[in-house]
Amino acid sequence: MAELSQWVYDTPAKKTKRKWRIWEMTSYAYILPLLVILIGFYVIPIVMSFALSFTKYNIMQPPTYIGAKNYMKLFTDETFIKSIQNTFLFMICVVPIQTIGALLMAVWLTAWKRSWLARFVQSVMFIPVISSMILIGIVWRILLNGDTSPLNMVVDWLGFAPDWLGDSDIALFTLMGISIWKNIGYFMVLYIAGLMEIPAVYHEAAKVDGANIFQEFFAITIPCLRKTTVLVVFLGIIWSFQIFDLVYTLTGGGPGNATMTMVVHIFNLNFKQFNTGYAMTVANVLFLINATFVIVQKRFLKSDS
Amino acid sequence: MKLINRIMILTLVLTMALSSVGCSKSIETAAAEGPSASDEKQEIVLWLPPIGEDDAPVWEPILKEYEETNNVDVTLEIIPWDNYPEKYATAIAAGKGPDVGYMYAEMFPHFIEVGAVEDLTPYLSEEDYENFIYINDGKMMGGLYGLGIEAANPAVLYYNKDILESLGEEAPKTWADFRRISKAATQDTDGDGKIDQWGLAQGWGRSMFGDLNWNWYGFLWQAGGELYNDDLKTVRFNDEKGLKAATLLYNLKFEDEALPPNHMSKTNKEMLTTTFGEGNAAFCIWLSSAAGEILDKNFEALNYDFVLSLEDESKGTFASVDQLTLMSGAENKELAFGLMEHILNAKSMTEFHKYHPRAPISKDEPYQGDPRLQEMIETQNGVYRPLVVAPHGVEVYNQLWTQLQMMMAGEKTPQEALDSAADWSNELLADK
Repeated sequence: MAELSQWVYDTPAKKTKRKWRIWEMTSYAYILPLLVILIGFYVIPIVMSFALSFTKYNIMQPPTYIGAKNYMKLFTDETFIKSIQNTFLFMICVVPIQTIGALLMAVWLTAWKRSWLARFVQSVMFIPVISSMILIGIVWRILLNGDTSPLNMVVDWLGFAPDWLGDSDIALFTLMGISIWKNIGYFMVLYIAGLMEIPAVYHEAAKVDGANIFQEFFAITIPCLRKTTVLVVFLGIIWSFQIFDLVYTLTGGGPGNATMTMVVHIFNLNFKQFNTGYAMTVANVLFLINATFVIVQKRFLKSDS
Repeated sequence: MKLINRIMILTLVLTMALSSVGCSKSIETAAAEGPSASDEKQEIVLWLPPIGEDDAPVWEPILKEYEETNNVDVTLEIIPWDNYPEKYATAIAAGKGPDVGYMYAEMFPHFIEVGAVEDLTPYLSEEDYENFIYINDGKMMGGLYGLGIEAANPAVLYYNKDILESLGEEAPKTWADFRRISKAATQDTDGDGKIDQWGLAQGWGRSMFGDLNWNWYGFLWQAGGELYNDDLKTVRFNDEKGLKAATLLYNLKFEDEALPPNHMSKTNKEMLTTTFGEGNAAFCIWLSSAAGEILDKNFEALNYDFVLSLEDESKGTFASVDQLTLMSGAENKELAFGLMEHILNAKSMTEFHKYHPRAPISKDEPYQGDPRLQEMIETQNGVYRPLVVAPHGVEVYNQLWTQLQMMMAGEKTPQEALDSAADWSNELLADK
């Protein structure tokens, strides 16, 4: 690109405008494939979703305009209200635990990186990240529901035998635990990358000044990892709002609506109740929530830089 | 950078952009041409659910015979029950539905209303009306939209004879018998202080409404209730009869504690195999075909029997009449209907029912079902019955199932659960 701009500048003045135009068109040509994908798979569906939310539509017949009726329904839809509550609760519980857990794991692994245990843990913790969520759901369903499940045998021996997926008081927390277990490895890797960027001289200077490991952690490590933490937190928030396959595989949103989340509700509305218009309404609410968090995240990162 | 390099890069970028269009087009062209080398052979796509445990090899010779006789390719796809109506809806919306399908009562209204299912009246002969036993069950919403393929497989109440004998009880006849025995059967049998035997192995953990078949409909009808009012414009399962049925189930759990602790996370079939089959429950409700297909094969030590229905105000139990359907999107409807008749003829069904013993579908088919069920199937037709085909069946029953789950989870009382489901359903039906 530097050579290209140099080629433009080296050109006599009367030909410069034409060459700038060629340069601009070349630039657009490079981004054209991605632009087509973005418009086709993101922008157009969002616009269509907004338009369909004002209709009664069952995907097999043409949509019928009904005004804001779908949006009014949101306030009386018991399942929608429960799904929003569950989704927010999921986010509030999962994000702090997986953020702090990932940070502590990363700090420990970085400090003990030469030990075989640390290398083993680092590899093992990333396996759930690369595994299919559907497969994870099936495995955990056997672990939590099976009569010969070793996990249930252990807890039974300890004197309590919860119905992990059937007790409406704990089913959602069970799903949170599995979600944390799956994703913590990913965020740990992000933190490890962030830790490696902290100049070693900071820690050396702190040691010279007599700081202990806790003082180093709070005074150096955490402030230097601010950008990484913002990324981890907001990724965690957005993933929490999008939670679907784990819930669908393990509980389907049940028992009752105990584990119903927004995306599962959208799925049920669209594919089980054939109420696509209303499903798009709920999807738009989710979109607005996610967009809000993305904008807030950008502001955080902008203020940092 | 040299001009030639720039041109090459631009060409590469444009080629990548165009190839994404070209690829899809080539896939469409290939799909239109079909996998068969011969362009003259037509293809019929047949969608079936898993009727038995492993159906595809059983259907293969039956379909092959039709293929050879009519010079067609029949493509069979087995669709899992849990995603069944969704698969149809999305495929039909995309114009890629089957030519011949399989539907149950709850599905029909929606797909008939959108014109996805063909009225079979013009295709049927006098002989068909004479021969097909369940042809009247295909009459609905002003037409005849299906031919019965799976019928007379009622839900029965299995009971453990050993447990009942140890309690000094006989087979239950009434709700009072059932509740008394369930409560008495729930006990610690090995003296370790933990309950290890329960009255009723009933699962409420399924994510879709299919387990209403065993958990709810029978009790509702035995209480004298119905799901819909006669005009099919409102529901009535929340009346005093429905409340009576729901209260029975609620009390079995919360007063009698007769259900195993993991009943909210297991499906009813899982409870049959993990709890009742293992001899740890007095009762379980499931398909009559499970006697031969599951219990006899896998639980030889289990000493069991069954009753068709308990009696309260009335008797009643669920037995679906699932139908083969001719889809409106079929390219060659005559050929597709021919496949339906071939599948349902005496020869094909005799072959199919050798592997999955069931009552006959046509009058010229011999009985090959479980001999223990023959008298019950042939003489108690009024006791077992299918659901009435009513509007928004899938949505109404999904909502009812969710609310009953909440009731069994202790989040709602029986009246609250039924009223929530009824209000939601009536609003949907009024909005139709």
